Amino acid sequence: MSLIGKSFKKLRLLLQHGALDAELSEEVRFHLETKTRDYMVAGMAPRAAREAALRDFGCVEQMKEECRDMRGTQWIENLWQDLRYGIRMLAKDRKFTALAVVALALGIGSATVIFSAIHGVILNTFGYDKPSQIVSFAIHDSSRSGEDGREGMSLPEFLDYRDRNNVFQDMTGGFGGFGAAPVLYSTGQGTTEFSAWYTTANLFQFMGTPALVGRIATPDDTKPGAPPVFVMTYKLWHDQFNSDPAVVGKSFTLNGVLRTLVGVMPPRFRWGWPDIWIPFPMDRNQISSDPNLKEAGVWPVGRLKPGITPEVAAADLNVVAHQLAKVYPDQYPKQFRVTAHTLADRVLTPFKTLIYPLAGAVGLLVLIACSNVANLLLARATARDREIAVRASLGASRVRLISQLLTEGLVLAIVACLAGCLLAWVGIRKVVPLVPYNTFPQEAVIDMNPVVLLFGLGVTLLTTVLSGLAPAIHSMRGELQSRLTRTGKGAGGGFRHGKLRSFLVVTEIALSMVLLTGAGLMMRTFYALDRLALGFSPQRLVSAELNLPKGVYDTALEKNNLFRQLFERLNALPGVVSTSVSLVAPPYAGVGSDLTIPGKVHSDTWNTAIELCSEGYFKTLGLSILRGRLLSESDVASGRHVAVINQVFANKYFPNDNPIGQRIKFNILDQVPDPGLKDIYFEIVGVVPDVLNRGLQRPAGPEAYIPHTITGFGDRSILVRTAVPPAALLPTIRNQVWAVDPNIALTNAGSVEDSLRKSDYAEPEFLLVLFAAFAAIGLLLVVIGIFSVMAYTVSLQTHEIGVRMALGAQPDNILSMVLKKGAALIAVGLVVGVGMSLVLTRLIKSRLWGVSANDPWTFTGVAAVVIAAGLVACLVPARRATRVDPLVALRYE
Amino acid sequence: MGKDSLQGALDLLVLKILQRGPSHGYGLVQRIQQISGDALQVQEGSLYPALHRMEQADWIASEWRSSENGRRAKYYKLTAAGRHQLEREQENWSRVTGAVAKVLRFA
Repeated sequence: MSLIGKSFKKLRLLLQHGALDAELSEEVRFHLETKTRDYMVAGMAPRAAREAALRDFGCVEQMKEECRDMRGTQWIENLWQDLRYGIRMLAKDRKFTALAVVALALGIGSATVIFSAIHGVILNTFGYDKPSQIVSFAIHDSSRSGEDGREGMSLPEFLDYRDRNNVFQDMTGGFGGFGAAPVLYSTGQGTTEFSAWYTTANLFQFMGTPALVGRIATPDDTKPGAPPVFVMTYKLWHDQFNSDPAVVGKSFTLNGVLRTLVGVMPPRFRWGWPDIWIPFPMDRNQISSDPNLKEAGVWPVGRLKPGITPEVAAADLNVVAHQLAKVYPDQYPKQFRVTAHTLADRVLTPFKTLIYPLAGAVGLLVLIACSNVANLLLARATARDREIAVRASLGASRVRLISQLLTEGLVLAIVACLAGCLLAWVGIRKVVPLVPYNTFPQEAVIDMNPVVLLFGLGVTLLTTVLSGLAPAIHSMRGELQSRLTRTGKGAGGGFRHGKLRSFLVVTEIALSMVLLTGAGLMMRTFYALDRLALGFSPQRLVSAELNLPKGVYDTALEKNNLFRQLFERLNALPGVVSTSVSLVAPPYAGVGSDLTIPGKVHSDTWNTAIELCSEGYFKTLGLSILRGRLLSESDVASGRHVAVINQVFANKYFPNDNPIGQRIKFNILDQVPDPGLKDIYFEIVGVVPDVLNRGLQRPAGPEAYIPHTITGFGDRSILVRTAVPPAALLPTIRNQVWAVDPNIALTNAGSVEDSLRKSDYAEPEFLLVLFAAFAAIGLLLVVIGIFSVMAYTVSLQTHEIGVRMALGAQPDNILSMVLKKGAALIAVGLVVGVGMSLVLTRLIKSRLWGVSANDPWTFTGVAAVVIAAGLVACLVPARRATRVDPLVALRYE
Repeated sequence: MGKDSLQGALDLLVLKILQRGPSHGYGLVQRIQQISGDALQVQEGSLYPALHRMEQADWIASEWRSSENGRRAKYYKLTAAGRHQLEREQENWSRVTGAVAKVLRFA
């Protein structure tokens, strides 16, 4: 018979097995009755005849079992029976089932959430074709180790690299993106801005991604005379244009140029993270004749040829770089080397350092959950000893017994898996929006997908096996006889595997200590950052970049006039305390430059940060003068070559002299395309306190403040100190800017405090929240674990307690007896936990700040929490022990 | 002789007897005892698992009929496949016993 035929037959047998069993009984009955009749006919008494017939037949039930076995469907029927039995048993013991399911679900759910993040961001990051081939490279100055190296280059240089390298299939480069290169789009009513990524026209072919709607831009679109085009991201198309396909093919005025929208890219294509892409030509003639492109700096990437690794590429690029150093001597340090990294490496490192500690924490949580459930299962197995012994004596094989226990475990696992996946789904929805901005590339999508679900199933399997080990070991050992007669309670009863249970609880305590210590260290890091002295107050401070229309404010005089008018208006507003020009907002500094101080010789590099500002800067930031004077209005009005320096500058470069009156030169000004800046020296007129200028986590570096009017070159930002919450004032500020000149766009405008929160506090906060959540869950599980062990121990010792009380023990004595046992467990767990923590916290060292990985205060605090929680867990069973009625206890044997 | 050969022998007996005509389980037992003259003492019950196994293998087919004493009984009869199997088993059996006989003569 064919396989399908056989399967159908088996199915029919399964469904009819009740009827088939009845038939079998009938058949046997017929045989026995006929035999009995024959014996009676031969002269035997009815009873003797029946007995003889039965004897001849053999064991009826066993034979029936064998017949059933012959059907070949027995294993399915067994499974079904086990399943129903398992569900009944679990439903009966509701407390156990609930606890076990909750513990497992928490473990499975958390692990799945973390894995979904890892999968979405690390394993499946980009929607580009073969992203592992995409590589960026940097030129590192050999004399300045530890710095990042130069990645940007001019377009001619980029084209040279493209022509001369041997390792890339193609290269593409671009600039812009979020925050940079805003493109002003004139709608009928007004002006909005998009962020644009200007790119070499081969970007879309390079990435190998087709357009979702319309077509991609190609180098043909940038040929001389071709109509200008641009491509839109899915996000913008969806958010602003309602995913209307009719918008493709329309023309938009962008920055004064009419461009046609030729296509929209799919949602996961976000190269450069802009709103739109604007292609530019790659032809050398076209580039050299366009002033915008001639001066542009691009960020290049290359696609490796098959079989080439980033290291091989770096070596080849190094050769090319040394050739090009002769062509562009200004761009290359005296000694340098080239490194290359895949896109994933470069972009994912911040995320990896964030997620790996969390993955470790989740692993610990899963182990805690497993120990918990193992303990619960073990207690249950011990209590069911008798039932199992009876079944064994009735003829159940070891296989049958084990399979029944496993099936029960399977039911538990399935329920826990469903609950865990549900938890994970909710968790992903809630947690992903909390992830700090820019931690992971926007192309990555974190959600529940089949791979993640599969992982959830895998974790379920793992936890089931781990949890099931303990009771399985328990079932395999032990003799039948002793189990049948043992009541499960009583003097020495049930204490075998007490060691196993204690081991599990100790493990739980130790693991949760590690989690708590991690959370504690994160907490201290966050507080340290939060209370860091910035040198200025970031509350009620607005910063905004001004995007000035070209050709209008090119000279220092024009810029000065602009800001005069603007600040006059702003200062008149109620709610504005003071205003200033600046390059960037603290805790960062404007521009870095090498220093020349006449009369001083030095071998190492002397550099400083430079901030171009107006006279209101110091009041706006709240910097008082320490020595000398601040910049004055007339300094700014005349563009005088004076500078105010900070303390670090004074101490580093003028340790023994008075810096006031000294002259210094900022070498970088020589490179600015403004002839009036060549070879000028500034006189130091004052010293102010330090303000953090290299981010939050590094101490302040030397900084000099000079009037912004020394040149008309470059962009400007404004800082506004407000008396009211900044968000309220932003629209007014914008309107005042437009009142002065409607063609000026305000970009990146916002409260400094908010942007600080997003960039510097968000990550430690995020880590803290998650670690704390895991640690809290872990602690809860531990409390449950200790509680269940102590409760079980007490129930086993009911008889003994009864005896003691009958002999005159006071409730206090019983209480202390029980608590002592609990304290012993906690103590051992504590010791092991401290040991593990000392070793494991070293792994999160890189995420800590302001606290050492072995900080004694944190360890002490965690130990106190664990002791407290443990003792609380022991209290209820201990009190129950004192309420044992000796009469009842003694009667129960 | 292992379990298999004993099982094979039982199969052969049953198939051979059913070749004469359909019979129920009890009848088969009686026939075996009749023919072998009580030399083969086998637990009567052990026939039934064998019958069920052979039915699974489609060598015999069953149907419920009323028996000679008026009660319903399950009758088994040989199928075409069963007939083939009978021939095969008979050949096998003669081969094995022949070989054993040779060994006993010459060893």
